[in-house]
Amino acid sequence: MSETTETIENTREHEEQKDKYMTFKSGNEHYALKIQYVSEIIPFQEITAIPETEDYIKGLINLRGKILPVIDVRLRFSQPSFEYNDRTCIIVIIVKDTMVGLVVEEIADVVEIGDENILPPPTIMRGDKVQNKYVYGIGRVGDTVKLLIDPDKLLNDNDLSAAEQSGDTVDEDEREV
Amino acid sequence: MAEEFNMEGMLDMYLFENGQLLEQLQETVLEQKDADCFDEDTINEIFRTMHTIKGSSGIMMFDNVTAISHKLEDVFYYIRESHPQNIVHETLVEHVLQVVDFITGEMDKIQDGSPADGDPSAIIAELDNFLNEIKNGAVKEGKELPKANVSEEPKHFYIAPVANSASHFYKIYITFYQDTEMANVHAYKTVYALKEFAEDLLYEPEDLISDDSSISTLMEDGFHILLQAQCTEADIRNVIKTGYDIEKVDIYECKAEEFLQGFDFGDQPAHQIDLESSAEEIEAKVQAAQEGEEQKATESADKPEKPKMAPGDFVIQSKSPGKPKKLAKDKPKGEKAAFISVNVQKMDQLMDLIGELVISESVVLQNPDLKVPGLNLANFNKAASQMAKIATDLQNVIMSMRMVPLTNIFQKMNRLVFDVSRKLGKDVEFEMIGEHTEVDKNISEKISDPLMHLVRNSVDHGIESNEERAAAGKKEKGKVTLSAKTEAGKVWITVTDNGTGLNREKILAKARKQGLLDPDRSDASYEDKEVYQFITLPGFSTNEQVTEYSGRGVGMDVVVQNIQSIGGTLEIESTPGEGSSMILKIPLTLAIIDGIVMETGTTSFVVETGFIKQFVRVTKDMMIHEPTGEEYVMIRDECYPVLRIGDWYGLEDYRSDVEEGMMLLFEVEGKTICLFVDKLIGKQEIVVKPIPSYIKKVKGISGCTQLGDGSIALILDPAGLID
Repeated sequence: MSETTETIENTREHEEQKDKYMTFKSGNEHYALKIQYVSEIIPFQEITAIPETEDYIKGLINLRGKILPVIDVRLRFSQPSFEYNDRTCIIVIIVKDTMVGLVVEEIADVVEIGDENILPPPTIMRGDKVQNKYVYGIGRVGDTVKLLIDPDKLLNDNDLSAAEQSGDTVDEDEREV
Repeated sequence: MAEEFNMEGMLDMYLFENGQLLEQLQETVLEQKDADCFDEDTINEIFRTMHTIKGSSGIMMFDNVTAISHKLEDVFYYIRESHPQNIVHETLVEHVLQVVDFITGEMDKIQDGSPADGDPSAIIAELDNFLNEIKNGAVKEGKELPKANVSEEPKHFYIAPVANSASHFYKIYITFYQDTEMANVHAYKTVYALKEFAEDLLYEPEDLISDDSSISTLMEDGFHILLQAQCTEADIRNVIKTGYDIEKVDIYECKAEEFLQGFDFGDQPAHQIDLESSAEEIEAKVQAAQEGEEQKATESADKPEKPKMAPGDFVIQSKSPGKPKKLAKDKPKGEKAAFISVNVQKMDQLMDLIGELVISESVVLQNPDLKVPGLNLANFNKAASQMAKIATDLQNVIMSMRMVPLTNIFQKMNRLVFDVSRKLGKDVEFEMIGEHTEVDKNISEKISDPLMHLVRNSVDHGIESNEERAAAGKKEKGKVTLSAKTEAGKVWITVTDNGTGLNREKILAKARKQGLLDPDRSDASYEDKEVYQFITLPGFSTNEQVTEYSGRGVGMDVVVQNIQSIGGTLEIESTPGEGSSMILKIPLTLAIIDGIVMETGTTSFVVETGFIKQFVRVTKDMMIHEPTGEEYVMIRDECYPVLRIGDWYGLEDYRSDVEEGMMLLFEVEGKTICLFVDKLIGKQEIVVKPIPSYIKKVKGISGCTQLGDGSIALILDPAGLID
């Protein structure tokens, strides 16, 4: 209920929130997510693993009676996994009515990034560290740089061409099976 | 303001109330379909129902429904008044059902938002014929011709006045010539003429005939009439003609609320809004009038004699005393008012919340902080147990709210049997047992179609034709029994017929033709149960002829699919020549199951209790290992395949030593399998929640649930594990 209300409010406040981004740290990079996708941020809690799912799907959590899946952002970006600790948070986002938790190492700030400070992502890939299939732009905030994430792509891995680019062999193996 | 009624709400109410009425009506009619004739109460009930539907359809301007219900009302009016003896009861039942179907059909259209455009004229014509037939029959039998024809006219007078949007309200002022004698008689004549088409009528002076002073009033003030009718000004002028007595007729059309104010006006122009009454007063009046009308529309209560004339009274007062008295004792209206329809989503939400409440309750009551030694918890425990009780009650209430009796579905089947057996010319009796058995709303929605199919099959294929029955020497009537009972946490619904039974040879032959039989097995080695299961396979129909109702070879497989989708099973039993039974076993509810919680590694699993045959602790020497890696366990000379849930799902940290863990013996679809888990946690009622759709379906897992400590357990689906 409260989530739905928030979605509605999010839509309504779209304009006000236009340039606001929730930023978080994962690995060495800072990522930014449009704030209207964010429903809430909860402290890390026990996750129930589900067998036979992709690595990055850590499992299910119980958010006040609602069961939602949780994704480890680092694993999703094919980065090495990390130990969960006190600072680990779960960002609950709602994308197209799907409610998903994102496990991130550390929550940073809510920042404002105007359109003029957003650059297109680099087209030349260096290694497999950051796949720009999820990153649609790079935002400058003062001296730092935030990678802007497209949450839809983050959740739905249907973009095969991008996946092939990623050179993620594990993924491909699974697909062949 | 009649025009500004919330049509949406009215439409809902219209559909809901009439839907209920029709259902009830159909039920009553079917109850007596085999009797010789309807009893007095039923006739009255049908009459009443049609009358109510006619009224409300009139308000909603569904003319076809109004017309057809009016016609049936006529028929039953005649039957009620003149008790004709020559009615072919079956035909009458058919006519009633025809009308019920028609109206139900129209109401479905309305519900879907399409116009109610069905053409009732064919049915009306049939009804006319029917009515004529019985009337003529009555004449032939030398009975006095009933007053039914005559009553056609007066009937308008006791029809409840309805705030029809087609109604107009008029103020009529009649001025008489000063030399007119007996103006009161002239006035009375006018009133009498207006009554022909008035829906509501009020005039001043009230007492025209017995009170002589009325004459002087008439001469001085003129004659004032308030009229509600579906007519135009010209129509009124036609009735009230100026002539030798009437000097002048002034007609003003006015609004409903002005009309309801009665005569609290002077000679102000009609369109002027009454500024003296406050808005609240007007509203109160309108509301009061509406309430009054609602009451009358349902004819629910005897009208107390009102001392003062007010709009709306005329109609009731002028009805012939005593005649429709029976209308007063309607079906218990109060019961209906006690129901509200609630969005199922809200119910689900409520149930979620109560589930949460129960969990947080256990978090509070078993809070580690309470375990500190030396605490005096006497009062706390008292309060806690009180709270626990309320929480349990709450849970029970919400569960019972979701439970609905099977009555409606069974009634549908009753109708179906009636229709199909008549169409096929078979004499079939239908018996219902245990129709009050309750199941979860979700389930009752899902079993309706499969059940319909089974019942249809029984009548169509199961029961032989009358000749065949006679030839087979079967004395009793063809009979289909639909029964329901609760057993072992499941609802058993059985469709039994006393027909031919399934033909084992025919099914086997067909199965062979379709290549379903194992060539290594002899026909005889197939058990009856196995053979009968063939008919549930897609494209399998032993009926050579395709009838309107069955034989297309789609169906049984769909039935089985539907039943399986709600966790049910279908068993078929049959004795050649004596009939067959289809036994549906379905869970009581989808939402809450009785489960055994267990743990493997760090993951908790739940299995529905019903699937588990036994728990066994095994020793190493009971295990048999195949070179291929497959494992079997010997329990009491039986060998079962073993499935290690930890291996199956690739879990970590699970126990691999069989002596440390626990074996669960499952039986699903006739196969038995041993599931190896680390340890059992306990038995628990669990609230089933779906796995979020974002996660793709995992084989063998059908859902998840929250345990008492708020953690999540996965619900195992044994059928998925066996595949």
